[in-house]
Amino acid sequence: MRNAINTVVGAVLVFTAYYVGLLIVNLTSLPVPGPLVGLLLLVGVLFAFPQTERQVARAVTFPLKHMSLLFVPAVLGVSIYWSDIKANALAIAIAIIITTSFCLGLTAWLTQALLNTKSTHKTQLNNINKNEGGTND
Amino acid sequence: MIEALNHAFSLRGLFWISVSIVSYIAALWVNRLCKGHPAAHPIVTTALLVSLGLYLTHTSVTAYQHAASLLYWLLGPITVALALPIYRQWQKLKHYGWRLLISIAFGGVLAPIGAWLTLFVLDAPRAMQFTMLAKSITTPLAMETSAQIGGIPALAAVFVIVTGVVGAIMATSMFSLFNVTNRQAQGIALGTVAHAVGTAKAIQMGEDVAAMATLGLCVNGIFTAVALPIVFGLFI
Repeated sequence: MRNAINTVVGAVLVFTAYYVGLLIVNLTSLPVPGPLVGLLLLVGVLFAFPQTERQVARAVTFPLKHMSLLFVPAVLGVSIYWSDIKANALAIAIAIIITTSFCLGLTAWLTQALLNTKSTHKTQLNNINKNEGGTND
Repeated sequence: MIEALNHAFSLRGLFWISVSIVSYIAALWVNRLCKGHPAAHPIVTTALLVSLGLYLTHTSVTAYQHAASLLYWLLGPITVALALPIYRQWQKLKHYGWRLLISIAFGGVLAPIGAWLTLFVLDAPRAMQFTMLAKSITTPLAMETSAQIGGIPALAAVFVIVTGVVGAIMATSMFSLFNVTNRQAQGIALGTVAHAVGTAKAIQMGEDVAAMATLGLCVNGIFTAVALPIVFGLFI
């Protein structure tokens, strides 16, 4: 019962942040997406009231894990742009395959170089490596 | 929201949302069967199965999107829900210090600029160029951001997913090419450049790699989503 209440409270927080975010963007015509403002608001709420973390976690952990399902309508919508994609297939392939691969390597290389500049830092890193589960899209 | 709910509770809506959910469950099973290979990511299989369903029933994609608009609408609230992993990672970021921020910023700037430059040089349409700028961040943020800067959200979703799959597949060979043995560095790169598909790969590599990947995904996602529209608003 308590868990159910926590889930509902968490969900109410998420939806409230979502709508307030939309409202703020509508009123101020900020150049950022409404849901992003909602996200930042919810991060703010979590910092201001750390006890809400448990409630939000109960509401969002399962949907976040399976959010891939929500992308299906959008992904299928790409068929509308099929001719554009075909016309630029080579450019897209180079942009995605080559740049992604090299950026991955370069970023990892730079990170390694930076982390090695301070070896004491490493032991510190190993102490706080508890994964808290990410998203899954 | 009311409109999306109305569609959902029509016969068509219930049917297509059920088809999507059943396809997704089948996709999870296929993913387990392939031992979590990046190319067998659930979204790939789900999209293929639903397309097959549309083909067999002679339903247009637009009719499907209409029927399943509740799923599309939920992308907004799920973006807000990303606040939780971001909040949790933010506390860790303090421990790791500026080195990781520089690394994430480097990957977060290099990947979209490289992709954009490729399309620019090869003369692809402008909307496609802008869409490419959001390709390294997690799908819901990428869709919102690309819409904001004059890109195409549907295209953003596909670019993001392909980027993730390519990144996860290429990771091992790229790390050995650049001689990167540090597991924390591998995790940061995977999360920053290949977002959540990269993070899924990182989870297979171990808990310490996964924690860093989640950190990269969260920090890059939020900074790109905030920075892109502002840069566009100021200069273009």
